Amino acid sequence: MRTPLQPSNVAKQLVLLFAAFLALVPTIYMVITALKSDEEYAIDKLGFPHSPVLENFRSVLVDSPFLYWMLNSGILVAGAVMLSTAISVLGAYAIATMQFRGRDTLLAVSTSLMAVPPVVMIVPLFVLYTRLNMVSTYSGAILIYAGLITPFSVYLLVTFFRTVPRELYEAAHIDGAGQFTILMKVVLPLSLPALVTLIVVNSLYVWNDLLIAIIFMQDDAKRTLMAGISVFSGRYNNQVPLTMAGMVIASAPMFILYVLFQKQFIRGLMSGAIK
Amino acid sequence: MTPSSRLTPYLYVLPLVALLAFVFGYPLLRIFEFSFKMVRGIDGPWIGLRNYQLVLGQSLFWESVLHNLQLLLAIPVMVAISLIVSVLLSERVAGWKLYRIIVFVPFVLAIPIVAVVMKRMFQFSGPVNELLRWMSLDFMALDWIGSSDVALWTVMILIIWRESALGIILFLARLLSLDESVIEAAKIDGANWWHRLWHIILPEMRGVIEFYMVISVITMLAAVFSYIYIMGGGRGGPGTSTEVVELYIFNALIRSSLPGIASAASVMLFLVTGVLIFLLFRVRRRAENF
Amino acid sequence: MTKSAYPMLTRRNLMLTSAMLAGGAALGGLSKGAAAQVKDMDMWYWGEQELPGLQKYVNDSVAKYKAASVKPMLQDTAVVISQFQTAAAAGNAPDVQYLWNGIYHMESVWLDYLRGLKSLIKPDVLAASNPTMLSHFGGDIYRTGWYPLPMFWCYNKTLFEKAGLDPEAPPKTWDELLVACDKLKSSGVEPLGGGIQDGYWSEWYITHSLPQQLDSLGEAVELFIGDKDFNDPKYHEHWVKLAELKSKGFLNKDMSSLELYPGIDLVVAGKLGIGQTIGTRLPVDSKATGGKIGYMTMPVFGKGKLAAMPVVDVQGLGISTNAEDPAAAAAFLEFLQSPEQLKAFWEATNWLPSNTTFDSSVIQDASVRGLWENWGLKPNISNVTNLMPGQFYERAAIPTGQQIVAGSITGEQAGELAAKTAKEWKDFNPDMVENYRKWVKDLSSPT
Repeated sequence: MRTPLQPSNVAKQLVLLFAAFLALVPTIYMVITALKSDEEYAIDKLGFPHSPVLENFRSVLVDSPFLYWMLNSGILVAGAVMLSTAISVLGAYAIATMQFRGRDTLLAVSTSLMAVPPVVMIVPLFVLYTRLNMVSTYSGAILIYAGLITPFSVYLLVTFFRTVPRELYEAAHIDGAGQFTILMKVVLPLSLPALVTLIVVNSLYVWNDLLIAIIFMQDDAKRTLMAGISVFSGRYNNQVPLTMAGMVIASAPMFILYVLFQKQFIRGLMSGAIK
Repeated sequence: MTPSSRLTPYLYVLPLVALLAFVFGYPLLRIFEFSFKMVRGIDGPWIGLRNYQLVLGQSLFWESVLHNLQLLLAIPVMVAISLIVSVLLSERVAGWKLYRIIVFVPFVLAIPIVAVVMKRMFQFSGPVNELLRWMSLDFMALDWIGSSDVALWTVMILIIWRESALGIILFLARLLSLDESVIEAAKIDGANWWHRLWHIILPEMRGVIEFYMVISVITMLAAVFSYIYIMGGGRGGPGTSTEVVELYIFNALIRSSLPGIASAASVMLFLVTGVLIFLLFRVRRRAENF
Repeated sequence: MTKSAYPMLTRRNLMLTSAMLAGGAALGGLSKGAAAQVKDMDMWYWGEQELPGLQKYVNDSVAKYKAASVKPMLQDTAVVISQFQTAAAAGNAPDVQYLWNGIYHMESVWLDYLRGLKSLIKPDVLAASNPTMLSHFGGDIYRTGWYPLPMFWCYNKTLFEKAGLDPEAPPKTWDELLVACDKLKSSGVEPLGGGIQDGYWSEWYITHSLPQQLDSLGEAVELFIGDKDFNDPKYHEHWVKLAELKSKGFLNKDMSSLELYPGIDLVVAGKLGIGQTIGTRLPVDSKATGGKIGYMTMPVFGKGKLAAMPVVDVQGLGISTNAEDPAAAAAFLEFLQSPEQLKAFWEATNWLPSNTTFDSSVIQDASVRGLWENWGLKPNISNVTNLMPGQFYERAAIPTGQQIVAGSITGEQAGELAAKTAKEWKDFNPDMVENYRKWVKDLSSPT
């Protein structure tokens, strides 16, 4: 059955191995460099460290407010994801299960907003926030992030809610349960996988964003991790190992979550790949 | 239906409509208004089409547009890489689950982090050039981030590296949902690997590939800010060699304090993406019909 | 200091909100307690970020000052301008405000948020503090100097010795510079440069080189706003000179991919002969090399009156229009210029205060003392790039240097780009032109 043209399993393995290697190169470089001293890096930029040092990590944690930046990012992620999820669940539930005028338009508009680039919105929001004194406030940034991730949340939830069998709603309705009770007691428990996906994808988006962060969180005290990184890499740009130690620390939270919850992540990414 | 129950749906969607109106609706209306004004502070006098004239008359704007267009060249490469890797993964070769975890990693790492790392790797006396020299490929040891001619291509390498992971994720999701019996049947019919790929798998994936391409076009035109900003040391560059429309808007708003100019550029960017979004919808509908 | 001095460079990113606020700030405003009472003052300042110890100095000074109760507040880097302008528009700006030089505070002057100091502060005190020409507008002066940032070319004396050059007599003219570079090169070191990837090297190059062909700083503003023409060979000569260094192979090879500070580190590490640096780095760099970092003004090619003048940028303090008792605020600023306070400043920050009467005998390091004597005490000019509109800075000042160093444009082309950008600025900002033109008059008059 095999023809000469058929790629062998060895060839397939080699291709995948190479792809995996490329995918990991920056991570590997980042980690091994972080373990080198400045002197060793000056001589040897490629090899593994001969005598690994942890000094870089120590000085990053002591001298730079990484943990503080992470806290800021964490606040924004938690606030924006919770707000957006609550609003999207309500909206998507109505869109998926109720009849009302403008329903299809609302869904179509909301879905198309998914693809509108955030940069288009910043000018008026920045001017408005300046006027309201909302630049560099958590609530201001949370509102923007919540808005930006909501179209995707609605899209995903509507799709999911529509797969919930109608009989379930009807049975609950007959039992005298109100809409809100049905949503909370019947639909949400069933939607846990979709919600996990949402939270994963949306948290990644907010955590990783730079544009909104540098424009709307300008105070030193409100800086997010991503904005902090751009300052940090500029300030220590002469100490590559130290910079890499910072990057290892900065990527650690998401990386650890990814390794621990790869199933949820992969499912989340595969169904939410649009973001 | 009681009047109150007729109102219920609207109560449910009210917060949603309010949020979308604030974050999308308000700004999208205001950029049109601002784009016709000479804005200082929060407002300014109407000046008709002057902002558009100024933007369209500035060579820097066109240079930025050109850079965005150049980035489009990355898309075929991304599609090819994503296709190869996702097809191999979908065949469930030994260790495919581990490979899958690894090839998704670029998408989990934040762009600013990767950009900082890549920037060090591509420094003139950095590890990439060291490796090239070690392999006696000195002629390839370019000034990756320092030369105006090369810098944008270097950013493109980074974009391909990360955005391909998205392609793999999307394509794999589609491949895993394919009806396996069709492929099995083809195997039994004696169709070889290439034949199956070309005649059975690819046609099934046409929708998702188109979808990915349109998404990528939007990315290249309007969502590469983080890459450019970090690789170019907070401003793009050297010089204006990696300036893109997003950075143009950012600079006009933040560094030149010209919200009117930034709005005019935003309006044009929005109109272009608007067309693409329309396209996206058609493509998606087709993707779903497959 | 190396690290902490960095924030100064990011000022350009911070102008951000300033112009935006002009119209609408009144709606915001920060509540400010009982600032209105006489002899009860607020002072907002910045600088701990680039000068560790400044906060301690301010707190001690305030505690020592008995004539009024001054409440200091250290500001975040990002909001130094916007926070002040917002408060000023709402009518509750602090009595005393920290001010960066040039356009960074001139906008507040144009918005009428700051008081002229000529009638408030004793003339000799004001002059000794060196507020620089860039603080003059409409015949008045709007800041007292607080601490100086001398800017200069540095070189590695050890490398000079190795190349057979006199380490105590750095090149003074352009031809001497070329000879020195040649010798450095033949001795196996890269002669000149630094890191230009993040753009600031471009800015500093203009700081040192553009004034060489100018007779006054006002001429520079006329160039930036397009009233004079960068296409005139005289006005882009400095870029032609940079291109000459490039074509002769005198610039370090990784210059384009290095950032500013790693570039200066090359000079300190003995890998690069000559670079551009800033005074606040000198104490540390001098110590690290055992006094082997020399300083010089940029070798002269130009024929303007400002050629060979040392450059000193100065951070300063001003009094807001909102100050209830400007005389009391002025008295506090004079107190900060008193000999004891100047000494306390030095002790707390290990850096110089901006005052020509400062008793420099306390300075141990010979290089630092020499720098003070030659930069701080002799006639100097301020940083010409502080006069640029943001648009010119981003579109012309930064890209020209980067592209010349990368070998992608010539000096003449840099001049064309600058001229085009200046003209563009005028088209984009017709409402600002008059302010700049008025400023030109102050900047062109003899001090």
